Amino acid sequence: MEISDENFRVWAEKNEVYFDGVFRLAGPDAYAPIYSLITGLLHEGHKQVTFDLTGLEFLNSSGINLLAKLTIEARKMGDLLLIVKGTHQHPWQAKSLPNLKKLHPLLELRLA
Amino acid sequence: MMDGWSSKRPVGLSSFRAKFILVVGGAVLFDLLVSGGLALWNVQRLSRDATLEVGQGLEAASQEYIRTYADSTAAQVNLLLRQVHNDVDTLAGVLQAQIDNPVRNSDVGAAIARTSPDSVSLSYDEKGKWSQNAPGSASVVSVWGYLLGEDHQPKPEIRRDIETSAVLDLVAPSLLQHGASKLQMYYIGPRERPIFRTAPYTDQAQTFDRLYPGHNEADFWNFFFPGLYESWQGWARDMKTRPVADDITQTAPYTDAITGKLIVSFFHPLWTADRKDVAGTAGADITLDQLAQTVENVKVAQSGFGFLAMSDGNVVAINGTGEQTLGLRSASGASGTGVTGLERSLKGSAQPAIAKLALDREQGIQHLLLQRDGNEVPYIVIVKKLPATNLWSSGPVRQEAMLLGVVVPEREIDASLYAAQAKISEATNRIVIYQILAILMSLLIVTIAVFAASKRITSGISALAGAAKRIQAQDYSVRVAITSKDEVGAAGEAFNRMAEQISYHTENLEQLVEERTAQIADQKEEISALNAQLQRENRRLGTEVAVAERIQLMVLPLQQELEEFQDIEIAAYMRPAEEVGGDYYDVLKNGRRLKIGIGDVTGHGLESGVLMLMVQSVARALQEAGNTDAVKFLADLNSALFKNIVRTKIDKHLTLAFLDYDGREMILSGQHEEVVIVRANGEIQRVDTMDLGIPIGLDADISAFIKTREITFEKGDLILLHTDGVTEAANDSGEMFGIERLCSEALRLKGQSAEKVVSGIVATLMHFIGSQKIYDDITLLAVRHR
Repeated sequence: MEISDENFRVWAEKNEVYFDGVFRLAGPDAYAPIYSLITGLLHEGHKQVTFDLTGLEFLNSSGINLLAKLTIEARKMGDLLLIVKGTHQHPWQAKSLPNLKKLHPLLELRLA
Repeated sequence: MMDGWSSKRPVGLSSFRAKFILVVGGAVLFDLLVSGGLALWNVQRLSRDATLEVGQGLEAASQEYIRTYADSTAAQVNLLLRQVHNDVDTLAGVLQAQIDNPVRNSDVGAAIARTSPDSVSLSYDEKGKWSQNAPGSASVVSVWGYLLGEDHQPKPEIRRDIETSAVLDLVAPSLLQHGASKLQMYYIGPRERPIFRTAPYTDQAQTFDRLYPGHNEADFWNFFFPGLYESWQGWARDMKTRPVADDITQTAPYTDAITGKLIVSFFHPLWTADRKDVAGTAGADITLDQLAQTVENVKVAQSGFGFLAMSDGNVVAINGTGEQTLGLRSASGASGTGVTGLERSLKGSAQPAIAKLALDREQGIQHLLLQRDGNEVPYIVIVKKLPATNLWSSGPVRQEAMLLGVVVPEREIDASLYAAQAKISEATNRIVIYQILAILMSLLIVTIAVFAASKRITSGISALAGAAKRIQAQDYSVRVAITSKDEVGAAGEAFNRMAEQISYHTENLEQLVEERTAQIADQKEEISALNAQLQRENRRLGTEVAVAERIQLMVLPLQQELEEFQDIEIAAYMRPAEEVGGDYYDVLKNGRRLKIGIGDVTGHGLESGVLMLMVQSVARALQEAGNTDAVKFLADLNSALFKNIVRTKIDKHLTLAFLDYDGREMILSGQHEEVVIVRANGEIQRVDTMDLGIPIGLDADISAFIKTREITFEKGDLILLHTDGVTEAANDSGEMFGIERLCSEALRLKGQSAEKVVSGIVATLMHFIGSQKIYDDITLLAVRHR
């Protein structure tokens, strides 16, 4: 399952979601398909789900809003371990990803 | 328009025609060369074969000729010898008949003595001590001293022999006159009375004296012909002992005692009536010249010659040229016995090839190399054996087969061959030249033909190319006239149709334009309908944007609100993006307390504006309600907003930070962009707000995440608040303005009023952005301690 345009690509492999490229989508409506793809995966009954953001160069605030909502969704599920993989190579990640940890303290944030 | 294509007809190597000519011409040339080469090769081979054939034929013919010539010469020599033999046989026959008939012999002798006294009357020669008849007789008769009595008169039995031998006078002159040409014919008596009667008359004895001194006292036979007489006596006892079954005995050439010429003698021994013993001999001499004439008359080609040799290689007849050619060296016999022979042997030849010549058997044609003037010249030699004869040459009589040789320079024999070969070669050369000329002619004709054909074939293509260029030059009237029924013709037709269409389209452009206009008008209707739809949509969107922008700008603090503080000056700038974002800033005053807020709603458009409006309203309400705790303030604001977001399904949130100032302390709370502080001393301080909160509207309760931070704020200090529209504004090359540039700009302007700082930074930022689109709202707020 994959959603992509010329600048970005999101795809799921088993219990891992990969984000790649530059996300400058206009707003929640634009992010809706991605949101439904990932919430679907969250509800598949995996013990843990990983968001791999290491290939995500840029994410606008609507995108961060999406990640926050997904984090809250995972938080609601209780026994699901959410792992978020980020990288210091892209400054926005170091700035915004800790917010996800605030929203969902059990979230495992791996900033490499 | 120049396209590197000359306006003249292309005749360069790259032209189609040149290529065509090259290909076809090359193929034809190759073909011609191959066929011509084959023809030439065949002609050469034919010539070679013909030469060989002719050569072999001619050689065979020449050799046959030489062989025949040699045969005929041998036959001639043989004929001559046989004639001499016959003459000697005749004389011997007469003499033998007389011996066999003694009565008649005496009678005939007596008769001749009476009729021809000169023939039998001898006179003694004091000097020579022999007796001889006087000149004038038909024959000369010599009687040697030891055959004379003391009175110098012949002994009686000698006397009788002188008379009986005179019968020679009857036969010999006639035989000498007719038959083979002979030098002389003679009778020699037996050993006991060897008188010597010879016709015609010569000074016989005198010559003997001159040539053979001492002969007069010696036994005639032993002196002149040692061994001959004994051989004959052997024959008398047993005729089978004759080496050849013939009585004729030939001598090797020797110097004639009578004439002094080189001669060959032919003896026919005479027998006693009882055939028990020798009774003398009949003889005939021929000069070697006579024998040689036959041989020397041999004339083959220019310088061919013949020779006659004894079986031991002694050449008895040869002409001067031949002698020289064969390298013969004469040596007079030094044996000292008998008549003086002639020694001129092939074996002693200066020519190695001749010296080695095999003489014991016939070998047919032989090819020899003879030295001549230091060069080796090829000769053809044929040696034939003549019929065997009895030969005396000092010692017993033995069998002898003379050799007849014919020698011809090969070059002369081959002259006709060479001539034929030259003719053939000439013919070949002529044919070759004709062939080459024919090839060249063919090539010329083919070249002309190819050239002409290529013109015809390629003229269509050239015409097409030319016409195409004229079309290019906008001459649409051009048509090509290609009549050929091939692909070029088809292309020409297609071209003409295309040209017609182009011409038609060009000439009927107006009409076409009208048609197209009508079509476009029809389409325009559709487009207009769509446009109307779009416009309505746009209007709606435009209205929305306009509304959003109004809302955004509407709630911003008024300029005068910013100027009513004594110890701080505030300046703010906001520029909405084209799509209107959701930047927010506010300055709320309640008594002494001042709350400066800055925030950024996610997304764009009306909803962002509405959310921002809510934030402003809630903040104002909370401020008015006397909410002084910064943390609680933010938590409550979030709580209110979150509930409203859920209700309105505005799927957005915002970053939001506040500065609370009560005239002494400056408290910072909430998560937003970094706060930049430029101290009076020029020090720059960047305050990270990440740990001071969390975006508003994400979660129902965020009180746990909100923290405050006190910021020292003294005279001359400058606090800058901004949204990411400032730092993330990009220039043409996609580079962002960034926080460092913002800081350095603030530092550059630190001494100036808040208004100047803001307008200065905005000017720099706008210059940086240039013509790039502004994607996000730009908000900048400066707070300066007076």
